[in-house]
Amino acid sequence: MNERTTLEIIAPTVEEALAQGLADLGLPREAVDVEVLDEGSRGLFGLGGRQVRVRLTIKGAETSEPAAGQPTPAPAAGQPAPAPEPIPTASAGTDELLSISEKTVGELLEKMKIEAQLTTRYGEPDEEGQRPVYVNIHGDDLSILIGRRAEILNALQYIVNLIVSKQLAHWVQIVVDVEGYRTRREVQLRKMARQMADQAVKTGRRQVLEPMSAGDRRILHLELRDHPEVTTRSIGEDPLRKVTILPKE
Amino acid sequence: MKPLTEYIARSLVEHPDEVDVREYRHGSRVTLELQVAKDDMGRVIGKNGRVANAMRTLLRVAAEREGLQVALDVVEP
Repeated sequence: MNERTTLEIIAPTVEEALAQGLADLGLPREAVDVEVLDEGSRGLFGLGGRQVRVRLTIKGAETSEPAAGQPTPAPAAGQPAPAPEPIPTASAGTDELLSISEKTVGELLEKMKIEAQLTTRYGEPDEEGQRPVYVNIHGDDLSILIGRRAEILNALQYIVNLIVSKQLAHWVQIVVDVEGYRTRREVQLRKMARQMADQAVKTGRRQVLEPMSAGDRRILHLELRDHPEVTTRSIGEDPLRKVTILPKE
Repeated sequence: MKPLTEYIARSLVEHPDEVDVREYRHGSRVTLELQVAKDDMGRVIGKNGRVANAMRTLLRVAAEREGLQVALDVVEP
């Protein structure tokens, strides 16, 4: 279980990095510990300066698993200094994948006539060591971008993955989020998974959850994968496929 | 909505020059006809229409902002 309890942000200033990180996580300032990994440098005449790198750690996150407490590998270690941009963007866009991902989401939103700011970063590496790209969309009144059961957000994410993968000629994983919606949803789902598992154990009966997307179901299965007293299974067909939690014999 | 359709289609096909989008409007209903090269049809439709449906979802957001309804058809060249 790799609960995401730390987040690294690259931004022009510590304040901006912190603000972005909190927006991504959807948490207040008090909920995180802040560690400045790289204070950056101003560069000559404000050019060629290095951006700051900040690590946020969620306080009191349920990090009973030792794995979650391990420090995350610093992804930006050997990164070249970002090129100075004419318009200050909040993006960490220093490498090709991040900038193409950001550009693609930006183009789509512009053509949908939606005004928003974007931040991009790499996530924690998955089982195969691939780091997903996170593109977070910030702005006012963006609930129209989420939709029922995140239908719109998922459509946007799917199209972005197709376009960027096609452009780079290899498959990449890009997570598109709005104001940290997915992060908050994941926290909720994990909590719900544990509550329903308790219920299954207490009553000895199978618990059936509401229909969910593949991504949401995956979070539930992973959360309960190592649970000693229950197993999980998905039943039904999309879009009505749902997770069931069964007490072990 | 036409630029959105063109952008997505051109980004996904092998022959972007052959992408053509026509927009027809009847009152508040907009119909978009997307035409691509024959061997690109699958790329804009997707398995079980998944790509076309994702495009429809995004088009709906754009349309609703203008108080319109939108339909997308992928047509044979």
